[in-house]
Amino acid sequence: MAEIRIENVFKYFGKVTAVNNVSLTVHDQEFVVLLGPSGCGKTTLLRAVAGLGLPDSGRISIGNREVTYLPPRERSISMVFQNYAIFPHMTVYDNVAFGLKMRKADKAEIDRNVRRAAEMLHIEEMLERFPSQMSGGQRQRVAVARAIAIKTDVLLMDEPLSNLDALLRLEMRAELKRLLADLHTTTIYVTHDQIEALSMGDRIAVMRNGEILQCDAPTTVYDQPANKFIGGFIGNPPMNFLLGQVQRHNGSLHVQVGDYALKPAPIYDSELKRYDGQQVVVGIRAENMEAMSQPAEDALQVRVMVVEPLGSQTLLTIKIHEDIIKLATHPDFPAVPDQDIWVRFPAEKIRLMDPQSGKTLLSS
Amino acid sequence: MTPPRRGKTNLTPYFLLLPSTLFLILFFAWPMFQTMVLAFRGEGVILNLREAPENGAAVTGQIRQSAQVILLGNRGIPVAAPAAVSGEEEAPSETGEEAASAAEPWYLIRGLDMANQAFEGWVPASYIREDEPETEGGPFTSGSVRRRDRDVRSEPGPISPVVAQVAQDTAVEIAGQRTVEIWYEVQGQTDSGETVTGWAPSRYLEVLSTGGEQVTGFVNRGDSGEWTLRYIERMFADREFIPALITTLLLIVLILPIQFLLAFIMALLLQSRLRGNTLFLYVFSIPLATSDLAVGIIWFSVFTQSGFLNSLLQGLGLITSPIVYLSVESKHFMILAVVLAEVWRATSIVMVIIVSGLQAVPESYLEAAELFGASLWQRVRYVILPLLKPSLQVALILRTILAFQVFGVVLAIAGRGMTVLANEAYRWYVEFRNPNMAAAYSGFILLLSMITAIFYLRSIRTQEEARE
Repeated sequence: MAEIRIENVFKYFGKVTAVNNVSLTVHDQEFVVLLGPSGCGKTTLLRAVAGLGLPDSGRISIGNREVTYLPPRERSISMVFQNYAIFPHMTVYDNVAFGLKMRKADKAEIDRNVRRAAEMLHIEEMLERFPSQMSGGQRQRVAVARAIAIKTDVLLMDEPLSNLDALLRLEMRAELKRLLADLHTTTIYVTHDQIEALSMGDRIAVMRNGEILQCDAPTTVYDQPANKFIGGFIGNPPMNFLLGQVQRHNGSLHVQVGDYALKPAPIYDSELKRYDGQQVVVGIRAENMEAMSQPAEDALQVRVMVVEPLGSQTLLTIKIHEDIIKLATHPDFPAVPDQDIWVRFPAEKIRLMDPQSGKTLLSS
Repeated sequence: MTPPRRGKTNLTPYFLLLPSTLFLILFFAWPMFQTMVLAFRGEGVILNLREAPENGAAVTGQIRQSAQVILLGNRGIPVAAPAAVSGEEEAPSETGEEAASAAEPWYLIRGLDMANQAFEGWVPASYIREDEPETEGGPFTSGSVRRRDRDVRSEPGPISPVVAQVAQDTAVEIAGQRTVEIWYEVQGQTDSGETVTGWAPSRYLEVLSTGGEQVTGFVNRGDSGEWTLRYIERMFADREFIPALITTLLLIVLILPIQFLLAFIMALLLQSRLRGNTLFLYVFSIPLATSDLAVGIIWFSVFTQSGFLNSLLQGLGLITSPIVYLSVESKHFMILAVVLAEVWRATSIVMVIIVSGLQAVPESYLEAAELFGASLWQRVRYVILPLLKPSLQVALILRTILAFQVFGVVLAIAGRGMTVLANEAYRWYVEFRNPNMAAAYSGFILLLSMITAIFYLRSIRTQEEARE
């Protein structure tokens, strides 16, 4: 068991900086998800840890041992590949046993570990099959079984579920989470699917343009995004953004959005002073606004443009001042298009961001 | 767009079938069948003797090609006169085109012979230089004897009795003309030793002597064929057969392992994406664009007595006098030179096939193998080679078949000092003008190639097959 420490890693592909000064520490037995849009450098970073693409500068250590330029087999890692990469010419048994065979383990040990791994992934019935005789989900299981058949300090997973259909992905997600909790292995998991990241990781490291923007627990990343990009990238629907102006009313600072004055939580007061008279971006999640069908105090009257019932909730598209935002309500909320409703913004759910840099004010 | 009607047959595959079948028959099956027929059928080895000098007459016996015969007599059978020769009308005969082309015009001439006696007799038209006819387009009526003194015969036919001899330039009167095909009455022995007599057209016979009492000759070729294993037996009994076979197999055993090892290493090098490896690809591909005879000549010039190798060794002071590499006494050097030339020439084709196979192996398999602890050798052994099986199979089949056909290089380097199967086929065809033996050798090469291909296909089973 080991801690992974990534320090100031750079990786260039020609003129493109794929990984830009990334530092990240994954604690022993921790499950960290690298999340980001495609091309953000998350897979490149993972491959640098795996030893499949060496970094141009920086340092990577696994369990107090520097491994930056060691070949993969000297790093005590195993990996699940995005396209599984299970060998088509070998049976499932030989695939799962591959790592052990390369380590010249004795036959009994190989057999014991192969069966253990196969059992954990429920493929013990298919050990004699060839990969071509299996479905995508089953191949995925083989790829994971191969990775856990060898006992390593670190498990790396490169978008392991991205090739599965939606339903299977849901099922495998929970199973993988249980499995990894049982294994107590330090894990880095790469994905572009924010639901996967939120549901599985101990911490999420959000990446963009080769940099880690935020590395926090899933709830923190969701609730207190470090910047506008993360708020917009994570969550479905993404966070709403409204452009407002900081104004002083009766001695206290408000954010004026059109005709509506928002009063953020008191902890923003000191920050708001710096923005007195300037513009800020107000971020609020769809489910954090209160919608009412009757006028109420502090509520803003808005007109419903689109109504999207999603079963567990109903999404309303509304227009506030210049901005079109989405609002999640209880499915029972009576709303039809072109109807007026009243919306309240709870002060503690309002996030404020700098309009230029997109950075959250007061970010931890 | 209207959706395709349900139940309508898709005709496209059938249209594809037509050119494929045509290709197969025209370029593959038909020539091959013809060649195989040649190996098993002696065409024109049997001469039918007939009761009367006409094609439809009953056969009295059969005489084999090159058998000695006695010519008892001859007869000129009139045929339709060729259009170029104007003359008196002849009765049209039904001897066919071949007879017509074998027919020759004869003149009946009158004049004074060498003993100044008047004579009348027949000579071939070619003996006579004709004078201009009196009326334009009319028959020739006079001429003179060309060049040599000539025999005049009682009737058209080269062994008809001589009635007179005329000297050169003697003026003669042309009294008549007849276009005939000469038939001989032949006496000879059949395969079973039975003596038979009958008529045969002169074009199948060669006259040996006209002097003496008997006119002898032999059967130049026959007018009908037979199915026979004679050529196959003769090939196996041929003095050069065993050496040719051994050399061919020896070359395969020597060349193929070197070639595949080299090609594999070269392909791995190209796949390693080193800086400048496109240059390697171009360099490796040069032999692909070189004809095998040219390659043979290049390597011949390396190994000749005053060749590059000797000059180099002498220049380095390693030897004092040039070594004779390519002589019948130093067979091992000849084989070495052929092996080198063949390796140089044909390794790149194997490499190209392996490279294309390697490119079909996803990078992630190799990465996975590396990640799970496989060394370079283990990656080659457990991942690359098994995944390359289909490509290797293609390359092996191709190379082995081509190795059975090795020819140009051996001919250029070793000449007659060393022989291979294809060389023998060539020699029989060109030097001995025996297409049957050449076909027998070719058929033998084909058989070996087919056996090899089947062997490879069955022994290196691809994964798709193993799945069943």
